[in-house]
Amino acid sequence: MNAPLLQVAGLTVAYRRGEGWVRVVEDVSFSIGAGEVLGLVGESGCGKSTVALQLLGYRHPGLRVEAGRVTLNDLNLTGQNLTGQNLTDLPRAELDRLRGRHISFVPQNPTTALNPGMRVGAQVGESPRAHGDAADTDPGALFAQVGLPDDQAFRRRYPHQLSGGQQQRVCIAMALACGPDLLVLDEPTTGLDVTTQAQIVALLADLRARLGMSMLYVTHDLTLLSQLADRVGVMYAGRLVEIAETGSLFRTPRHPYSKGLIASIPQAPGNAGFGTRPLRGLLQRGALPPGCPFTPRCDHARPGCAETVQRLTPAGAAHQTACWRASQLGHEPQVAAPEPPRRAPARNETLIEVKGLSVAYGTAAPVVRDVSFTLGIGETLALVGESGSGKSTIARAIAGLLAPVAGEVLLRNAPLAPLVRLRIREVRRRIQLIFQNPDASLNPRARLATTLRRPVDYFFPVESHHSLQLAQKALDQVRLETAFARRFPDELSGGERQRAAIARALLARPDVLLCDEVLSALDVSVQASILLLLQRLTRESGIAMLFISHDLAVVRLVADRIAVLFRGEIMEIGTADRVFAAPFHPYTHALLQAVPKPLVRLADRAQMASAPVGVPPAPGRGCAYAGRCGWKPDKVLCDTTMPPWQIAPGGLRIRCHLTPEALSARAAETLPEEILA
Amino acid sequence: MVRAGSMAAGYRSLWRQMPLSFRIGALMLLAHLIVAVTGPFWAPYGYSQMGAGIPLSGISWHNPLGVDQLGRDVFSRVVHGSPIVIALSLSATFLGLVVGATIGLFSGYVGGWVDLVIQRLLEALISIPFLVLALIAISAAGVEASGNPVLVVLVVALVYAPRIARIARATAIDIATRDHVTVARLRGETAWSVMRRELLPNASGVLLVEFALRAGYAPVLIGSLGFLGFGMMPPTPEWGLMISENRAMLLVSPVTVLGPGLALASLVVGLNLFTEGLARVLGRTVRLGSL
Repeated sequence: MNAPLLQVAGLTVAYRRGEGWVRVVEDVSFSIGAGEVLGLVGESGCGKSTVALQLLGYRHPGLRVEAGRVTLNDLNLTGQNLTGQNLTDLPRAELDRLRGRHISFVPQNPTTALNPGMRVGAQVGESPRAHGDAADTDPGALFAQVGLPDDQAFRRRYPHQLSGGQQQRVCIAMALACGPDLLVLDEPTTGLDVTTQAQIVALLADLRARLGMSMLYVTHDLTLLSQLADRVGVMYAGRLVEIAETGSLFRTPRHPYSKGLIASIPQAPGNAGFGTRPLRGLLQRGALPPGCPFTPRCDHARPGCAETVQRLTPAGAAHQTACWRASQLGHEPQVAAPEPPRRAPARNETLIEVKGLSVAYGTAAPVVRDVSFTLGIGETLALVGESGSGKSTIARAIAGLLAPVAGEVLLRNAPLAPLVRLRIREVRRRIQLIFQNPDASLNPRARLATTLRRPVDYFFPVESHHSLQLAQKALDQVRLETAFARRFPDELSGGERQRAAIARALLARPDVLLCDEVLSALDVSVQASILLLLQRLTRESGIAMLFISHDLAVVRLVADRIAVLFRGEIMEIGTADRVFAAPFHPYTHALLQAVPKPLVRLADRAQMASAPVGVPPAPGRGCAYAGRCGWKPDKVLCDTTMPPWQIAPGGLRIRCHLTPEALSARAAETLPEEILA
Repeated sequence: MVRAGSMAAGYRSLWRQMPLSFRIGALMLLAHLIVAVTGPFWAPYGYSQMGAGIPLSGISWHNPLGVDQLGRDVFSRVVHGSPIVIALSLSATFLGLVVGATIGLFSGYVGGWVDLVIQRLLEALISIPFLVLALIAISAAGVEASGNPVLVVLVVALVYAPRIARIARATAIDIATRDHVTVARLRGETAWSVMRRELLPNASGVLLVEFALRAGYAPVLIGSLGFLGFGMMPPTPEWGLMISENRAMLLVSPVTVLGPGLALASLVVGLNLFTEGLARVLGRTVRLGSL
């Protein structure tokens, strides 16, 4: 192999925290070869983004590089040869010439990264203009390169007129504008839908094949990385604990942390078990031992671990790990998964019935159309779909935050008032909503005790004299220390906050929990533990759950039944086993294909990138999915006639013009082994 | 003994964790308060005592801030005025804050036509120039009430309340969309309970800063009222009034306005630094020691 394109050696970075400095990155070294894709993975707060920003020589008054070098090979800025020059020491003017042209950056959130007041065509031209070669750049060619329409009308659009995926494509086009050697991507797909995410990853893989560009891909999603990266570095608490070729890392992870991360991946259909051993504990920055930072959470820790700093040492071909016990530990990536014990089948009593529900925001066209389903006592029903499919809207309508324009919701066969203020206290108590973002759902200025006692005081005034004990009991139930009652939400981690939010909902002693994307704001290892908690709670107390998620792998683990939504209409509904087996609705099939699977390269799934994007038919006329469907039996029929409900074996209901037999046949044609494996 | 020592050490470490602006502001305010409380006992002259020096004679050891046109010692007048200015401005601003925040939070949280009506009323109040509004209020109160400090407080509060209400409303609208407020609404809490438990604690940072800004400008408002003959009456050593009185002599003796001007400026800056620092302490996520 030739000399690497970029080398990072002993990088140590600290942030100002109050009066002192806290090291967030310690002694990180790696290199990226020409045309290589290196992935950096780790939980939030492990310093991976900080490392990524240092590759661009990022400086900030609250940040200092205490040691280490970042060097580029073959670096020639106008008139100077800077090969081997430390980027973190470069003067500002030279950094300006370097950024964009040699190394460029794709940020996490395209919505905030793009200037909302500037047309996208002009934004893409900014970087070439800054580098003084405005003449020979054509935004059209760049747009075509990232799979965007290159007509004038598109260039004149503003960022808010684009979808999230299109915005991220614009960001990538901006980063490519000056033909950089290295692309640094900081969680570029985190905020996107599964299908869009798959398309962006396919685009990156394609760009890399065409342009031979090097990339540093920072993410918390190990599965996604396995599809794109040549090598993966695992970071924990600011240290690189393992770096290896992707296949080698997945098959034989050496470091206990990597093993834990890989075991926390919710497996796609086929490998039902997951989180065989979800990582225990949490990254606590304040209480790290001087030696190996992972010691407090490590199952294999020995007394020496906490004192001795672990350095990366070779462990096999192109594999380095920072654990002195690595060779003594087994190689098995995960222990065989014990199937989580299924709950006793739900009693056949209906708790909530949704009949012909349609919901609209203001006077716009309804975002949820004619949705009907039932939720039994103690049952878990999952609503799955991409963002904008109306799944959260349904939860909000059931909770009484939005009045339906048509249809009704029944609780134990009694119709519910449309809005929460018209409902009686008893009904409000029985339905509890848990939100996606625990940062926002807890009052930041109230101690947990105050927050948790309120539902008791409000719903059970008789018991308010011992509401504190009840609050502590609830904390215990969600596996939080009772001492947490005295804390404010900002003294908790994201996962702990979500547990507190769950405890608050439980204190109302509800019949049903509406869980609105409760996992998507959390780290993978934390997701696993929250999921286990929810499973246990619903099983123990017989609470029904409406579980809303875009993540099929997660849904499969909790749901008894699944409803797949597209543009506000249910496409398929049935028991979990049936939904995940043929026959599929064409949309369910597409969703399942988009779920990233470890070590399944995207090349095998190339058609994802070119999924037809058509104009949806007018709402209420024809099949909602007709615009994107690749299996259409008859174009006119699908576009104009509402498809009937097809009843497949096992009570599975699919809304499609194709018969279940035909759908099974179509599913068998495309990648049968992958889906049914 | 040991315990007292550790308490002192605890306070010292807490003090060190505070932002610099908070510490400077707190020291400036403390100095002002000490002067306001003890000043009348040690001021070299009375506030209306003439013959302290040659009128408009400038700075000297004897009259550190000069002498005004009537031969009164400006330093003594500033010291005597301190409790008056501080008490009037703070109570007027506080009254305005309480009324304004209540109206604003309610209007922002409830929304709909209630909000619409309240906002139009507030806009009408704001659109009337301050002095005209003050004149209307004072003439409504009657001539005999003129010069009464309670009336001054009420008038300044009337001017401030609608302005503070608008800020409070904007904050309430922002906070009301957060999920923890939705949780309270789903529980069926009353508007008053939501305002008290969910909105007010989270709006307190904004409201505190607003309080400091307004409190800093209040002495100026009170001074203008005095200048027009509707506020405090001479010879009250109110700083704004003193600046107004000596404004005509600015070219002859610029020093005479320097004293009240500096006092006013340091009070305003101190208040602002203090509240800005306080807002950061209240709003930020670090833990402040274990006390």
